[in-house]
Amino acid sequence: MRVTQSMMSSNMLRNLNTSYSKMSKYQNMLDSGKVITRPSDDPVVAVKGMGYRIDLDKNQQYQRNLREANTWLDTTDEALDQVGGALKRVKELIVQAANDTNTADDRQKINAEMQQIKEQLRDIANTKVGENYIFSGTHTNQPLYTDKTGPQNPAITTGGNKPIEINVFDGISMNINTQGADLFENIDGFMAHVTTLLESGATGPEIGNALGLEVTNGANKIPGLDGIYENALTVRADVGARQNRVEMMENRLSLQEINVTKQLSKNEDTDYAKTITDMVTQESIHQAALSVGAKIIQQTLVDFIR
Amino acid sequence: MRSTFMGLEASKRGLFTQQTALYTTGHNISNANTLGYTRQRANMQATPGFPSPGLNQPVYPGHLGTGVEVSSIQRIRDQFTDRQYRQETNKLGYWDSTAKSISQMEDIMSEPSEFGINQSFTDFWKSMEDVIDNPKDTAARQVLISKGISIAESFNYMDRQLKQIQGNIGNEINVSTDKVNSILKQIAALNKQIQEVEPSGYVPNDLYDARDVLVDQLNEYIPVTVSLQKSGGLAKDVAEGSMTITYVSADGTPIKLVDGRQYAALATMDTNDRRIDGDVDDQAKGSYANFKEIRIAAVGEPPGDPATGIAIDYSKMDPGKGTLRALIDAYGHSGGQGTYPEMLANLDKLANEFITKFNEVHSKGFGLDDSTGQNFFSGTTARDFKVVITDPKQVAVSDTAGEEGNNGNMRKLAALQSQAQDNLKKGTFQNYYKSLVGDLAVKGQEAERSAFNSETMHLEILKRRNSMNSVSLDEEMTNMITFQQAYNANARMITVVDETLDKIINGMGRVGL
Repeated sequence: MRVTQSMMSSNMLRNLNTSYSKMSKYQNMLDSGKVITRPSDDPVVAVKGMGYRIDLDKNQQYQRNLREANTWLDTTDEALDQVGGALKRVKELIVQAANDTNTADDRQKINAEMQQIKEQLRDIANTKVGENYIFSGTHTNQPLYTDKTGPQNPAITTGGNKPIEINVFDGISMNINTQGADLFENIDGFMAHVTTLLESGATGPEIGNALGLEVTNGANKIPGLDGIYENALTVRADVGARQNRVEMMENRLSLQEINVTKQLSKNEDTDYAKTITDMVTQESIHQAALSVGAKIIQQTLVDFIR
Repeated sequence: MRSTFMGLEASKRGLFTQQTALYTTGHNISNANTLGYTRQRANMQATPGFPSPGLNQPVYPGHLGTGVEVSSIQRIRDQFTDRQYRQETNKLGYWDSTAKSISQMEDIMSEPSEFGINQSFTDFWKSMEDVIDNPKDTAARQVLISKGISIAESFNYMDRQLKQIQGNIGNEINVSTDKVNSILKQIAALNKQIQEVEPSGYVPNDLYDARDVLVDQLNEYIPVTVSLQKSGGLAKDVAEGSMTITYVSADGTPIKLVDGRQYAALATMDTNDRRIDGDVDDQAKGSYANFKEIRIAAVGEPPGDPATGIAIDYSKMDPGKGTLRALIDAYGHSGGQGTYPEMLANLDKLANEFITKFNEVHSKGFGLDDSTGQNFFSGTTARDFKVVITDPKQVAVSDTAGEEGNNGNMRKLAALQSQAQDNLKKGTFQNYYKSLVGDLAVKGQEAERSAFNSETMHLEILKRRNSMNSVSLDEEMTNMITFQQAYNANARMITVVDETLDKIINGMGRVGL
């Protein structure tokens, strides 16, 4: 084949060009830390990357949702703990009052404390997380008890006493509130009953009867102190179980976050050791091409005919 | 009997011939770097010997040579390599242009990234989840509205940018068509000049070169075939004649683009029967009418009006050949096919589906102010995609009136994000968008690879062509020495003849003087 100067120079130009474009690719990889800069560099990596990003963002959001769930459940647990404490004191007071050695005056004093505890329990029913009343169902703007003595908020008791659910994973939701209206209604009814007993001068055994699972209030049967206590414990156990679920979910999500981050990185992050090595290799090839090119191009027969 | 001065004459011919060859070498060296220049060679041949045959020829032992002459100066070129080169130019033009238009699209979509449509979908979903966590928090609701606006604007932006580039491509189609027309006209003009000089025995090598360069350029835009028609008169054997250029449509119909001094004119028409020029056709949508056909006017000098010429529609164009076809593939043809219109239509479809589905659920819910039946978004395309809710209280989070802590409806809205949509190839909104990017990426990769391969092939053939055509300085230098020495030797011959004549004229008959 006849080889001419223009062939050699165009050949060299082409090779230098290819070499430059390779170096520019490595440079891009090193500068951006990513294997690809546009989808067509590697469609699979690009589309996978988009998927991993969605997964990662979702994961972060679910973790944020779980933090919210935790706040609600922890506050509810705390509130129910206080309810338990108050009920314990009520039991002590009833046991004390059931003793017939008490004078009417003594029972009045016990009753006074009972009133305080009753108010305290109503306050607990109005516990808030941030701006939200936690025992008010979906009416988080309104307290369960609007005043010190009246009945429960009718908006809540007639239909508003619903669960509030948030999403903790794709297709998995969790109830974050506790519908406390029934529990507090029972407590309130019981406290009113005890007050009536104490104020009406009932006998010790009559007062003592209030401690049972059920008490007779006139024609109605209402839950006694033990019944209420059990009720409160059941509700609290449910909260505890949900706290466990949240914890498990948090663990699972943080594990998933690590996995997805790892895959995202494997998928599109530059392998620096490899890329720098490739880059250096390419550099030396490029230099060789330059120096050989310079030597060949500059010489023609002209240089030797004088 | 031979003439006394015959030796002088033979050497004079030698001088002239070697000089012509030397000058041709000089011409080659001067044009070593000229684009499209083909090296030339002075073809030498011996002049008829003495005596020439005839009735009265002298009887003479042997046939005496009378010197040399240049019979022609010829380009050294191979038409078959030219043909291969031009075929590869077709492909390179197509893939180069396709790769460019796809890469521009990729630049706009900018995926994977932290600011594309994909991310705005995710951000929107995240703000929905925040509202679910705090249904009555007006700040969270406000953020949701802002993220809604950002998703709408992402669609608006993409629609605008893609259409702008589509317009640029339309403009490029117009410019390319003009360029093709100009090349055809120039080739016809060269044909005319060539036809004028060839019958007088000239071989206009440099006009041939110029014409071949134009044909190379023409093949970048459209695939054409060439054939040569010899000139009449005293045209030399090596004269190439005038060039006929034919466009062969996919169904095999040949259409003449240049015939001698006559040339055709092309026009690329859209479905509105207007020339494609990249100007917005439908102002309201900012969109463009698709390519309909190329019209080719009958050859003439000047040619007729292309608007009334032969129509070549998309199906009659050779696929994968030439920039013009690549531009049309990107710009759009045959009822909305093509890279850009398809992407735009898919974005419209995605936007419409998202708006419809979201509004459907949203309008069933209740806002903090118990408003219901409200749409969150408006619009049916990526272009008019907008958020209509302005008051955060009106975001329908609750599924029951009067419950500020109820997030039932927003949960349904958030769940939409991971629901498969029947109209979107049974994928979620984001999956559908992902598949759009994936398809584009695969097309882009194919175009890049094909462009690279065509370029390699193109260069390989160019090398082969250069091996035949291009000037080698070493070779020319060698020739230069050869011709120079031959010239010198001829001059010496004249001196020798001169000395012999001097002997006869001045030295003869002077015996004893």
